[in-house]
Amino acid sequence: MNFSRGLAAAACVLALAPAALPPYAMTLLTEALILGLFAMSLDLMVGYTRLLSFGHAAAYGLGAYTCGNLLLHTGMPLLFAVPLAALFSGIVAIGVAWVCTLASGVSFSMLTLAFAQLFYAVAFKWTTVTGASDGLAGIPRSPGPFGIAIFAGKAGFYYLVLACLLGSLLFCRMLVHSPFGEVLRGIRENEAKTLSLGYNTRRYKIAVVAIAFALGGLAGALYAPFAGFANTELLFWLFSGQVLIMVIVGGAGTLVGPIIGAAFFMLVSNLLSSWTDSWALFFGLIFIGFVLFAPQGIWGLLSGTGRAEGRERVRWRFLKSTS
Amino acid sequence: MATSVTRRAAMRASLVAVAAPAVLRHARGEAPIKIGMPLALTGPAAEIGEQMRHGAEFWAKTVNAKGGLLGRPIELHVEDTTGDPATCVRKAQLVVERDGCHLLFGMVLSSEALAVVPKLAEWNAIFVSSDNGDGRLTGSSFVPNFFRANISGPMETRVISLWLRRGEMKNFYAIGMDYAWGHNSIDVFKDEVAKAKKNFVGAVFSPIGTKDFSTYITKIRQAGADACFIVMQGADNNAFLSQAREYRLADKVQLVTSIVDLNSIHAVGDAALGLAGSTRYVFTIDNLANKAFVEAWRKEYGTEPDVFEGEQWQACQILQAGIEKAQSTDTDKLRAALETAAVDSIKGKAAIRACDHQAVQGGYMVKVVKKEGFKTPIPEIIAAYPGDEITPACRQMTFES
Repeated sequence: MNFSRGLAAAACVLALAPAALPPYAMTLLTEALILGLFAMSLDLMVGYTRLLSFGHAAAYGLGAYTCGNLLLHTGMPLLFAVPLAALFSGIVAIGVAWVCTLASGVSFSMLTLAFAQLFYAVAFKWTTVTGASDGLAGIPRSPGPFGIAIFAGKAGFYYLVLACLLGSLLFCRMLVHSPFGEVLRGIRENEAKTLSLGYNTRRYKIAVVAIAFALGGLAGALYAPFAGFANTELLFWLFSGQVLIMVIVGGAGTLVGPIIGAAFFMLVSNLLSSWTDSWALFFGLIFIGFVLFAPQGIWGLLSGTGRAEGRERVRWRFLKSTS
Repeated sequence: MATSVTRRAAMRASLVAVAAPAVLRHARGEAPIKIGMPLALTGPAAEIGEQMRHGAEFWAKTVNAKGGLLGRPIELHVEDTTGDPATCVRKAQLVVERDGCHLLFGMVLSSEALAVVPKLAEWNAIFVSSDNGDGRLTGSSFVPNFFRANISGPMETRVISLWLRRGEMKNFYAIGMDYAWGHNSIDVFKDEVAKAKKNFVGAVFSPIGTKDFSTYITKIRQAGADACFIVMQGADNNAFLSQAREYRLADKVQLVTSIVDLNSIHAVGDAALGLAGSTRYVFTIDNLANKAFVEAWRKEYGTEPDVFEGEQWQACQILQAGIEKAQSTDTDKLRAALETAAVDSIKGKAAIRACDHQAVQGGYMVKVVKKEGFKTPIPEIIAAYPGDEITPACRQMTFES
């Protein structure tokens, strides 16, 4: 199959990266993969279910703070703290989604934004847990179990991130091709019709938000020991907006696209910010360009799904989702 | 936009200017001494970042003009952190990994420094702080590769409390910026007030970047204190002092600030008259080293050096003493040399102690007055305290008595 061959090739290239790249490039690449995982998790909601979230930073922040606290205060090994934080983020999301899915369309988006800002406000005030504006510093990459310490190193940690990303990608791909995924697509295209077919669409929506939050939380949980630091910026609405841009620029509804979108975002923002302080302005222009002329995103352009019909469909979907 | 372009252009130009004698280096084949300097050059702390940059650039220029340090030119790598700890970690990592700096200056906010220090061992880098106040950096968050050349938050608070002990004032209130340094200094102050058997009536914290202080000023007025201890810097400090003047706060309570700096005085003008406080450095300090420094600074910049310019200069002197003693910039050798580094600096004697890497140094209490020959009011020294009286015990943040 074309996908698995491409994935295997990409995995091989990425696995060889530590041997070829200088330290700083490795740092950027690791962060790009973490952000890629984060963007991909949002794609489940935005691209497959048309649940436009303006508050996905909540997932990242929850994962990062949970993992950070576990590593700082419990001495739990990195390998346990990361999945546990992801799980916690997913569980919290069930409650969040239960409220948010009471509404749909723009109201849903606003509720997600409201929840994220609520978490942000709590993080700012709950000094004992979040360190408030100082954040959590010195988050370790604790070894274990059985003294496994390879993930503490630069290359080792990179492989952990890579494994999480590839594992999540395969999981998401399986998910969207499963009957569950079919229902999600049904909700995306016509929720009323899906409902009339007998599916409890709200439960499906809550489930997909929980999965997206768990994977977004996984990304955040990896970020905390990666940077050794977590603060309220990770929960801020600006970050929710940025990840949405990564998804749309990369290509919503493709899983792989948002990963590329995240890498593109990091690369371009790094290049632009070394050139001008107003880098966000120029990135904004790039974003507008994509929305108007290539709504199928980078992945759509690369994989040739940019046929007129597909383009129309994607554009319609995007316009509808934002109207 | 215009300002940021000029700033960037200036940054690049400064790197070139500082690196200019590098031409000599190639002839002799000496590698430059690279120092990374992540600084808040935009945002509320930008003013302090600029001062630190000036201080370091002036030192690099002076050293390079004399043929460098150990015959090697100094090269500064400045990056903007916007005052955000997460960005600061990223930028510090950038100068270490991309530019190959194993010496660090900068980090304007204590929260930035606290985020960076756990990474120093991994980066094999030494960080010499010129401004981070939070006591934890030489206390609970101490790491071997961190050195504090400047006076700490607990130390400047101690100066104020020793001065207040002499006075009649009984009830104290405090306002601080809502981050590491603000909380730490006010905790220490509270402790000091209790030891002096006086009353601490309360404190309020304003988020970094606060522009409207009217509600805070109302709280201070209502607290009924004799004096208010202020822990603020940069744009926040200027905004607070300007508004305090509008509300005539000083008529009601004595304002005592942890850092009196020229920048705030220039911003609020005569309203600063009567303001008392500790200062980390003031150009009116009377010793030969300082007179020579102020003279040279005036020649270069046409103004008097401000607090963080002076503090940065002292930090540079301490690093220089360490490198000269170690005859190397190798991390292990330099760390050992810095642990006993001592200089006769512009603030008098400053000596690093090995147990927590804090530079023991004297503290000054100043009052803002009008003086002939100066257009704006200037800080005049009203009391000086020796290093052993104001430095807490090793790795401690509070004082015995």
